[in-house]
Amino acid sequence: MTTTTSAGTRKLTIARAMAEATAQEMRNDPRVFVMGEDIGPLGGVFGNTRGLYDEFGPERVRDTPISETAFIGAAVGAASDGMRPIVELMFVDFFGVCMDAIYNLMAKNTYFSGGKVKVPMVLMTSTGGGYSDAGQHSQCLYGTFAHLPGMKVVAPSNAYDAKGLMTAAIHDDNPVVFMYHKSLQGMGWLGTEKGATVPVPEESYTLEIGKAAVVREGHDVTLVSLAAGVHHCLRAAQALEDEGFSAEVVDLRSLVPLDRETLRASVAKTGRLIVVDEDYHSFGVSGEIIASVVEHDHACLKAAPRRVAYPDIPIPFAPTMEQWALPNADKIVDAFHQMMLS
Amino acid sequence: MSIVITVPDDLWEGDSEGVITAWLVNDGAEVAQGDLVAEVMVEKAQYEIEAPSTGVLSITKQEDEVVEKGETIASLES
Repeated sequence: MTTTTSAGTRKLTIARAMAEATAQEMRNDPRVFVMGEDIGPLGGVFGNTRGLYDEFGPERVRDTPISETAFIGAAVGAASDGMRPIVELMFVDFFGVCMDAIYNLMAKNTYFSGGKVKVPMVLMTSTGGGYSDAGQHSQCLYGTFAHLPGMKVVAPSNAYDAKGLMTAAIHDDNPVVFMYHKSLQGMGWLGTEKGATVPVPEESYTLEIGKAAVVREGHDVTLVSLAAGVHHCLRAAQALEDEGFSAEVVDLRSLVPLDRETLRASVAKTGRLIVVDEDYHSFGVSGEIIASVVEHDHACLKAAPRRVAYPDIPIPFAPTMEQWALPNADKIVDAFHQMMLS
Repeated sequence: MSIVITVPDDLWEGDSEGVITAWLVNDGAEVAQGDLVAEVMVEKAQYEIEAPSTGVLSITKQEDEVVEKGETIASLES
């Protein structure tokens, strides 16, 4: 079902935006099909395949057994043979059982065949915590996937970007890992972030993979994040404005390719950099962002860069402990204060 | 003419309360009959509320408010 209100007034959750993009591509291209656990009549536990089973049936919207090794391997095979599968790894935390299919097959078949075999598949997977689902259902693992060459990686912060990136991912002849944050899906029990539900055009459109967005302009500090972290940054920027400081917020949107030019241009303007990442602190996205800026030009920095990232610990179940560990707007504001004191 | 939007009595099973998780159309926007206008969450499941007629939406129950079956959440002026 769709809504036919005048342009600019209809809003979608990220879950609905992903489902709408998928449905539009399935209507256009018979090679596109979906596989995963509970993605059929249930519509996905995070809502992002709602309506697809009713419209396209069990041949093209295929519920699978709980064997990621088998069905993600099958998707790689189907993609290598000319189909365009969209396959869901329900929680990114369980990549361990199917990583060989992902990083040795999906990510490498194009290279190993000298470009003769394309692997045009989308691996969509949920990330993030905040609703007490503990250490095996709450991780982001952005850095893990972005680290390994051969696959594109996107992580939208709102429904408009999600629809455009999903359409672009389906069109792409390379494997794309589409990482959607649970708190942005519009499913209330996952801690819904209102800012992710935004007006979305009904017609199909693409958003170029590999382009960051300056979602708020400022001149005192650059706050860089992705997915749910963007909303923490926007709240922090509002709090800093009340104190008389002007923060710029950069939404990465894609990790691979990484839009280093937009990052560098922003920090060149503000002279200060704080990276916000719900993935683990060490060896990850936040370090890569800082390195990308300082190895290019450290002279533009007025202060040492800082990061507000997840501490290097397994994610606690206890709500108070989990909230203590997660990034939030207060921690970003505090990092800025410390930066200005040092 | 004003038509109210209520939570349908058969939207979910049982007598549990729900929470409006999203208004998908802004207050004051014009909607068409059958448009999806809101989502209600009941015990981790999402349910859809459609516009019963065409008109200009006036929201009375906001996001995060608790609702029961049969309760009025908005009206449509046509």
